[in-house]
Amino acid sequence: MSGATEYDLVREDTSTLELGAGATVGFAVVLFGFGLAGLFELVAVTESVAGVQLPRLLGGLLTLASAALAWFGVASHRGLVPTDPRPSAGVVAATGAAGVWFVVGGLVGSQTLGFGTVGWLALALLAGAVGFAATALPREDLGTTLPVAALTGLGGLALLTDVIGPDWAWSPVGLRATFAAPIAIPIIVLFCSLLVGWAGAKAYGGFGARGRHLGAYALVYLNVLSILGVLVGLLAFVFTKGAPVVVQGITVGPGAGPETTIRLFGFAHTVVWPVDWPFVMNGVSLYAEVSGVLPAIVGTVWLVVGAVLFAVPLGVGAAVFLAEYAEEGRFTQVVEVATNALWSTPSIVFGLFGYAFLVPRFGGSKSLLSGMLTLGFMLLPLVVITSREAMLAVPDDYRDASAALGVSKWQTIRSVVVPASLPGVITGVILGVGRIAGETAPILLTMAGATEPSAAETADVVGGFALSSSPPFVTNPALLEATSALPYQLYAIISAGVGGDAAFGWGTALVLLVVVLTFYAVGIASRTYFRRKLHE
Amino acid sequence: MSTELNETQTEAAQSPAELGGATTVGETDERTRAEWVDHEFDGDAKIAVEDLNVYYGDDHALTDISMEIPEGSVTALIGPSGCGKSTFLRCLNRMNDRIGSARIEGSVRIDGEEVYRDRADLVELRKRVGMVFQQPNPFPKSIRDNVSYGPRKHGDLDTTFLSRLLGRDDVDEEASLVEEALEQAALWEEVNDRLDDNALGLSGGQQQRLCIARCLATDPDVILMDEPASALDPIATAKIEDLIEELAEEYTVVVVTHNMQQAARVSDQTAVFLTGGELVEYGDTDQIFENPESQRVEDYVTGKFG
Amino acid sequence: MSDLRRPPHDGRRSVQRRVAATREFVDETPSTALAAGLVGGLALIGVLVGFLVQSPLTVLALGAFLAAFAYGWLRHQALTARAMTFAMTASTILVLGLITVFIFAEAWPVFEYASGTVFGVQVPGLELFTTTNWSPVSEPIGYSLAPMIHGTVMVTVVATAVAGPLGVAAALFIGEIAPPTVRELVKPGVEILAGIPSIVYGFIGFTILSPWASEAFDLVGQGTYLFVGLVVGLMALPTVVSVAEDAINSVPESMKSGSLALGTTDWQTMTAITLPAASSGVSAAVLLGVGRAIGETMAATVMLRNSPALPEPLYNAFYGYETLTSLIAARYGDAHGLQFNALFAAGVVLFVTVLALSVGSQIIEARMERELGGNQG
Repeated sequence: MSGATEYDLVREDTSTLELGAGATVGFAVVLFGFGLAGLFELVAVTESVAGVQLPRLLGGLLTLASAALAWFGVASHRGLVPTDPRPSAGVVAATGAAGVWFVVGGLVGSQTLGFGTVGWLALALLAGAVGFAATALPREDLGTTLPVAALTGLGGLALLTDVIGPDWAWSPVGLRATFAAPIAIPIIVLFCSLLVGWAGAKAYGGFGARGRHLGAYALVYLNVLSILGVLVGLLAFVFTKGAPVVVQGITVGPGAGPETTIRLFGFAHTVVWPVDWPFVMNGVSLYAEVSGVLPAIVGTVWLVVGAVLFAVPLGVGAAVFLAEYAEEGRFTQVVEVATNALWSTPSIVFGLFGYAFLVPRFGGSKSLLSGMLTLGFMLLPLVVITSREAMLAVPDDYRDASAALGVSKWQTIRSVVVPASLPGVITGVILGVGRIAGETAPILLTMAGATEPSAAETADVVGGFALSSSPPFVTNPALLEATSALPYQLYAIISAGVGGDAAFGWGTALVLLVVVLTFYAVGIASRTYFRRKLHE
Repeated sequence: MSTELNETQTEAAQSPAELGGATTVGETDERTRAEWVDHEFDGDAKIAVEDLNVYYGDDHALTDISMEIPEGSVTALIGPSGCGKSTFLRCLNRMNDRIGSARIEGSVRIDGEEVYRDRADLVELRKRVGMVFQQPNPFPKSIRDNVSYGPRKHGDLDTTFLSRLLGRDDVDEEASLVEEALEQAALWEEVNDRLDDNALGLSGGQQQRLCIARCLATDPDVILMDEPASALDPIATAKIEDLIEELAEEYTVVVVTHNMQQAARVSDQTAVFLTGGELVEYGDTDQIFENPESQRVEDYVTGKFG
Repeated sequence: MSDLRRPPHDGRRSVQRRVAATREFVDETPSTALAAGLVGGLALIGVLVGFLVQSPLTVLALGAFLAAFAYGWLRHQALTARAMTFAMTASTILVLGLITVFIFAEAWPVFEYASGTVFGVQVPGLELFTTTNWSPVSEPIGYSLAPMIHGTVMVTVVATAVAGPLGVAAALFIGEIAPPTVRELVKPGVEILAGIPSIVYGFIGFTILSPWASEAFDLVGQGTYLFVGLVVGLMALPTVVSVAEDAINSVPESMKSGSLALGTTDWQTMTAITLPAASSGVSAAVLLGVGRAIGETMAATVMLRNSPALPEPLYNAFYGYETLTSLIAARYGDAHGLQFNALFAAGVVLFVTVLALSVGSQIIEARMERELGGNQG
């Protein structure tokens, strides 16, 4: 009916086109790697390799890629290779090309040819229009390859002929910024290789629907790989920078470590640790060989404990009401909107709130207790949201079965719903804790104390409890004093300036990262485990 | 087909029939099987299936299916629910590939070309083998866009803004194609004044005929239908059945149904799948319903079990 | 939200019904339980009021509440549990209310100070936005938030340009493209990315990225909106990915297979069917990502110059001065009087913006649920 040409159901074995286009894509990947290495200064792009200046080498490679791409386009158009192109490459590709050519035209006009605003704008618009037309008007095979090949060729020739050489630099008027060769060359290479990769992947698929599919997939895969690359790179970087600091001076053996005395309402018990790990067991000290972050670790632990003790019972209780008692209606909707809004409220706003609401009510100065409650407020909406979801996910059969046995609603909730939803609740809490443990902004305003706390300034919450005869009858100075926490300590190191102890900062960052990511890893693993169990 | 396999078949075949109280089963079944497995139709087979096995995880959904489907006819697949007839249908256009846990072994050839080969082109396959689903699933677009969706995506129709700007669009072709497909699906009379309305506003029966029109517009050779009338009322069902008979003049239609009267009414051949994912009998529809070789099939078509 | 369409006359009848239900409840409930509930409720209000007015007697009210709760728990557990869970729900909403009240109250003086007149009408806080001078100490004194709003906009625009397209592409990958084993690897990876504390990003930005950018682009001093935006975009990315992936997954499989069965490629199905059907959810995801970017504090604080000013020209992303969040974080320590109130005004702007984004994205998501729900029938 639609007059489609019939193609073979099974494509022939790898064709010349696929081999060539595949090689071009591989070539683009290599160039992309070169560009990245140049950008991160792993390779000095202004140096020479085997007597050839690197910019010229890269220029040559780009020109080669450009020629290959142009050949595919022309060969496909001439029918030398079997492809399935559409009449046009489409508006999306054409708009993209127009944007790129607009920028290129503008840059060439204003910088290379030295036109004024009107001149370069006219040239840019012209180049954009030409780019659009060159992509949209010819058949898809030409429209895809030729504009990309032209751009890549232009970049390649500019590098090859030293128009953009090692000493090239460009300072746009008014920006007070300079694009020098070590930045510009990798960016040109990255950008051109991206385009070549996309066009090459389209050629590999023989253009048409299949080609577009492959071109898009190439970009999506590159995107995901980059995200994972950034993640792995970040973690590896912090580990390599921080690990030497953190493991400094570790000794293992009975009695090697410091003494810890636990006091509770007058009773005391002393433990001697079998490990001495200075970085996590010392405070900051001029006399110790290795300064450590013990007060900050203890502060973070107490913060988390306090926030969890406050938010989890409250949040789970609210979730029970919302999932079991409340009728679906305006009230639950308001609560849902409110909890979601609370969850996306910026942490610094929670900090301001804690500063205005809690600090004056706990002795007028920043305190551990204010910090705990502020983080508790932050944690609360997540506990409500995840617990409610977990409870709603408990099948109604469970409730019906329990109700059929004549068990009251509250008994059903207590003995069926809450236990069944526990995995979901716990997972949510763990992930939430991971988030608040790394928060800096709220505790900055509510509990931050000494910037370089010594071991003596470690918060002793357990030993701090005392009874008194006047209200509020139980006092605990440790709760009402400011203390440190890992994220705050890292911030303090930064605000001390570049001259501060960067190595100590990397160590702190690593400990913080390990603490937070442990929560995340446990949370994600437990979620995966329980989901799998649920589906079995 | 190995002897061992035949024995398994026979064993499996015995028990339900025994429950039904029949006396002579085993031999009949074996003889039948040998006969129909190599059943040859006049002319070339459009679809040839050989030793097809499908597993979902540990679940053996289809067991050693072999059959040939002739061109330009309606083939009905019947059987109780869970017997694997829908799974079999979805093997023919490889829609089972969407299910991660599915493992498929064996061979399906369409016009002699192997569908389950590494370099098989799924897009090309599905252009040739169209499908109508159990639940009507129109896209949330206008009626016109639903019908012309396939041809536009295949590049046979160009109605983009750009081509309209350049005056080389196929808007007229689109209009005639949409009309033709809707006419063929017996929907044109009902919707020709509201082609720009959202397809989700149609009734269930209209939606299903729209899905058929959508499938016809891509000009397939084979049309697979997965219980196309099960979600519809009797009047809409009757319309769909009429449509199936008409389609057989141009297309090869394979239709899954659990409704035996429907199979008897519309089909030229009938394949009976029974529990365990086995194909128990396959032959001309009249023969299957009036004089089945297998006792199990007789019990099933006469409503004794299933 | 669909409740808004409920007919108005329903209100009175529902009140009558509720009164009747309450009477029945009071009649049926043992008087001891009622008394305990009354005492507990009053005591809880007492705790709240006592805490708000900073009374040392708060602890007595707390004691009374605990006693009432203990009695109720021992004698009427089911009723107590129900009442307690309700109180807990109410307190969750109360937190949002308290935040609103407190930051508005603290910000009010500066709103009054910076009021301007439009057509003869006094508009409090107008000059916070219409002037550009932030100078809390030296004359002329001014508390304009405009430079910080500009900074926040710059950072958010760059961050959204990063997190939006990359996030949606990654969500498509996880939801539609990746084989199951790869998905199991990528999804936790993106979540881990969300887990890296912002101060760690800030530390890397401060020690590595800022000096590098300053040198590479030959800038005067350190701190650029461009690189803060890139870092913040990376931090907002996981939010976009996970919400957009939920939206993509909620598009019915029947619709996707309907398209694939017509012989379209996966990519055509994604762009022509899945993404349009999920468009509300995907835009909600981007909105939430924008909200995260606006509220991101520490990376901006440690990577920017912390001197409120507008760059020259306004679009110059190579020079970064101050955002709303970094203003608060960098100045809370030595702020007094009106400057202190001005920090809260910045908080109000942040809070209101992000609240609007959050509610907006929820409305959009609710609409998507309705639309896709309508398809099933």
